[in-house]
Amino acid sequence: MSDVATPTAILKENVWTSNPIFMQVLGICSALAVTNLLVNTWIMTLGVVGVTAMSNLTVSLLKTFIPRKVRMMVQTLIIAFYVIIVDILLRAYLPDISRALGPYVGLIITNCIIMGRAEAFAQSNPPLISLWDGLTSGLGYMGVLLAIALFRELLGFGTLFGYQVLPNAFEPWIIMVMPPSAFFLLGILIWVAKSIMIKQGEPV
Amino acid sequence: MNKQSFVYTVVFTFVVAFIFVALLAGANAMTVEQVRFNQQIRRQRAILTAMDVPYETEQEVAEIFDNVEEVEYNGVSLLQLDFDGETRYAQEVSGGGVWGTIRVILGIQSDGERLLGIEVLEHNETPGLGGRIDEDWFKRQFREKKIIDGTIELNEQPGEGDFDPDSGRIDRITGATGTSTSMRRIINASLEEVLPVLGGER
Repeated sequence: MSDVATPTAILKENVWTSNPIFMQVLGICSALAVTNLLVNTWIMTLGVVGVTAMSNLTVSLLKTFIPRKVRMMVQTLIIAFYVIIVDILLRAYLPDISRALGPYVGLIITNCIIMGRAEAFAQSNPPLISLWDGLTSGLGYMGVLLAIALFRELLGFGTLFGYQVLPNAFEPWIIMVMPPSAFFLLGILIWVAKSIMIKQGEPV
Repeated sequence: MNKQSFVYTVVFTFVVAFIFVALLAGANAMTVEQVRFNQQIRRQRAILTAMDVPYETEQEVAEIFDNVEEVEYNGVSLLQLDFDGETRYAQEVSGGGVWGTIRVILGIQSDGERLLGIEVLEHNETPGLGGRIDEDWFKRQFREKKIIDGTIELNEQPGEGDFDPDSGRIDRITGATGTSTSMRRIINASLEEVLPVLGGER
């Protein structure tokens, strides 16, 4: 963390210089699992953004009341609360996507990014800036997952958001549909991002 | 008050847990009807699709579905619908796939000569491989498919779909032999149970 926590500094840090996925390498399992279709990725990451933002806000609001001994338990409780809300909403209003995401919505609870932000930021910062920190961390996660999903859906199905964009003659790459392909894409993405950072003279 | 004391910690944890759980219970109660409705409409659509009954709006689904009867012949439960001057049957069947249970609705003509169609209700197959059983082309292969010797068989080679209704065969999915054979097994198990009943009814 930098010492000066201005909104722009937080934005830059969470989306780029310490992006949860490609710098901290957190939340990888969902990055592999849900990224073969853009629509699913979009809804899933939207859920993560909402949960990270709201749980950060709530943890920050409650932080002076939370006894130290049960700090992490309460954080987990708050996170679980928002995740279950997301799950309930999806099941009621977006049943198809809820079915496609299956257990991964519930598993947002175990996403280390959310717990990490609650513990590292919200526990020691005022509510609004914590909300912003959660929001931008979620956006950092969303950006990377959507980038991976873009390539996986395009090469694996020849579609984007379900619309055919590549000609029918295109032979879909089955590997892109399978989870391992996200490993390769993530590796490439980390390589590209770090190369840019080195060029910019950022400490890596 | 000492916020690190044992009593405060216990009371605080209890109160916080209670509040959040109460809120969740409330949210669940508010959406439970909608969730049940979603599941019901999905099942109804699947059954009509499997019986090759066209529909457009949700209301139309509900109207047609009013005439679907649950019947039981010799201990075999079937769904029965008189549509377009003929009786159509469907059965909900399930069986093991590669990763989990596959649940399908199988539509059969009343004379047991041909299938009407199938619809997949639930599966956990690999997306893009076995998961393609839920794709339109795969399910379309079963339309009016002739049942030869009481079974539906797979073609030797995987393909893009066998749409000849008289072949009695369907194409297996490329790279998903396991799921394809599971589908064959599930469907034929259902036929073995249903065909004697349909034959014996007349």
